[in-house]
Amino acid sequence: MALVELNHVTKSFGDQTVLADLSLAVPEGSIYGFVGENGAGKTTTMKLILGLLQRDAGSITFAGNPVHYGRAAAASGIGYLPDVPEFYSELTPTEYLRLCGQLTGIPHRELGGRITAMLETVGLPNNRRRIRGFSRGMKQRLGVAQALLARPRLLIADEPTSALDPVGRREFLDLLASLRGTTTILFSSHILDDVARICDQVGILHAGRLQVQGPLAQLLAAHGQAQVALGFETPAAARQAAAALGVAARESATLLIPAPQGETAALRPVLAALLAQDLVPVRVSPVRPSLEDLFMEVTQ
Amino acid sequence: MTATWIFLRKEALTHWRRGRFLLIGLVFLLFAIESPLMARLTPELLKSMGGSGIHITLPTPTSVDSWTQFYKNIDQLGIFLFAIVWSGAIAAEVRRGTLVPLVTKGLPRYAVVLAKFALAACTWLVTLLASFGLTWAYTAYYFKDALTPHVWAGLWPLALYGLMIIAITLLGSALAKSSFAGFLAVAASVVVMGLGDMWRPLRRFNPLSLTTNALPWVRGTKTLASVAPAFALTVAITAGCLALAIVALNRRRL
Repeated sequence: MALVELNHVTKSFGDQTVLADLSLAVPEGSIYGFVGENGAGKTTTMKLILGLLQRDAGSITFAGNPVHYGRAAAASGIGYLPDVPEFYSELTPTEYLRLCGQLTGIPHRELGGRITAMLETVGLPNNRRRIRGFSRGMKQRLGVAQALLARPRLLIADEPTSALDPVGRREFLDLLASLRGTTTILFSSHILDDVARICDQVGILHAGRLQVQGPLAQLLAAHGQAQVALGFETPAAARQAAAALGVAARESATLLIPAPQGETAALRPVLAALLAQDLVPVRVSPVRPSLEDLFMEVTQ
Repeated sequence: MTATWIFLRKEALTHWRRGRFLLIGLVFLLFAIESPLMARLTPELLKSMGGSGIHITLPTPTSVDSWTQFYKNIDQLGIFLFAIVWSGAIAAEVRRGTLVPLVTKGLPRYAVVLAKFALAACTWLVTLLASFGLTWAYTAYYFKDALTPHVWAGLWPLALYGLMIIAITLLGSALAKSSFAGFLAVAASVVVMGLGDMWRPLRRFNPLSLTTNALPWVRGTKTLASVAPAFALTVAITAGCLALAIVALNRRRL
């Protein structure tokens, strides 16, 4: 069942249309990678789901209930991690989380224990140090802590990895992946590696519409074209082989053969033709379609 | 209302740690000590500056001079200190994005405006009252005259005027992106009220009358009733500005 559903949603700012007829469904329990170029409307979509923006048309439901502008997302079970979370630099993380917990209505006797546990989960020290001196990575951790404090059913994370260094990014992705099964995650990014690493569902936003969505493996199988790479000893041999097979020659000593029916079916006639002309490939390797190929295909 | 209270405590803690209360407290303490002292010392200072050649006769300073100095300080400096400190109160939160996590957690936007007003208003009233009390004590010590029988009469109108200035500051800050917006809104309002003050029939309605008449009230030469419409208008403007600030913040894109 879909936890979040958007149907034919449109949104413009002034005369600039950001979302034109966007339909999207996030299945419960999934880690949904929401992919698109900068400015494609990912943040707008997320803010619509959060009730921070008013849509022009269409419907949005969360757990079957319609989403309204101005209602508290946390109350219905959504946690939000903004792209660059900003906090009050005079407070300590504990004080900030206490503020969040009180606003969400977490019972007083539970709050202290939950904050301690949450700081441990995200790897922040529980001391009197104020947020003022925090690095980007530490702010991101605090951002995760405030988003998860109320144990939401859905975590919305807006480009959470784009500002992090490689180590911080890996740790952050591991943290998100560890939530699999307990929290549904809607995760926007233009870093395709990150999405491919942890997401099981993908939606690609382009020109105000969702171009494709579904399980990553299925999408890749359906859209991306499988190929086989043949490596020859010299570029000259590769050029001869290209001429013999009638495929496009390349600068390097490698040829790419389309394999729409699988590698075996593609290789059998190719190898026969090559051997007939005494051309022997020294390397044969299948090329799996990547999310990047899929992204380029649907956004071209 | 619970959310307003929770946000108010956060406001108080952050202002405390930024040293805002200390700053305001020190400035108002300075006013309280300076006002009677300046009144007392001005003739001596002038005399010493005049040299031996010129002979100046100056009236003996009285408690009226002390209170004149006090109201001038608060009205022309003290109130603007509040406008400066709270100038970016809402604009900065919107610009930096600090409200987003809290609003998604159920903080109503009106609570932001109300909590900020409540904190500024309390700070204003407490520091004004403390500064007033100290000035009163010093004045009574330096000047044992009976020229200012109604010391309290000047305070209430000024207190109300200050609340209006705070509300205008917050409205400016809720409307615009700039951190100076609150202060500019106050500056613009003061200019408009100053222009209005030039037209005599309007004075009864002009909120500015709440500060310009302080001395006649203190001396007992005028009664508060003379500017009753200005009181009503000031209350209305204060409430109106707060309501508009809430509407403006509700419409701001966070």
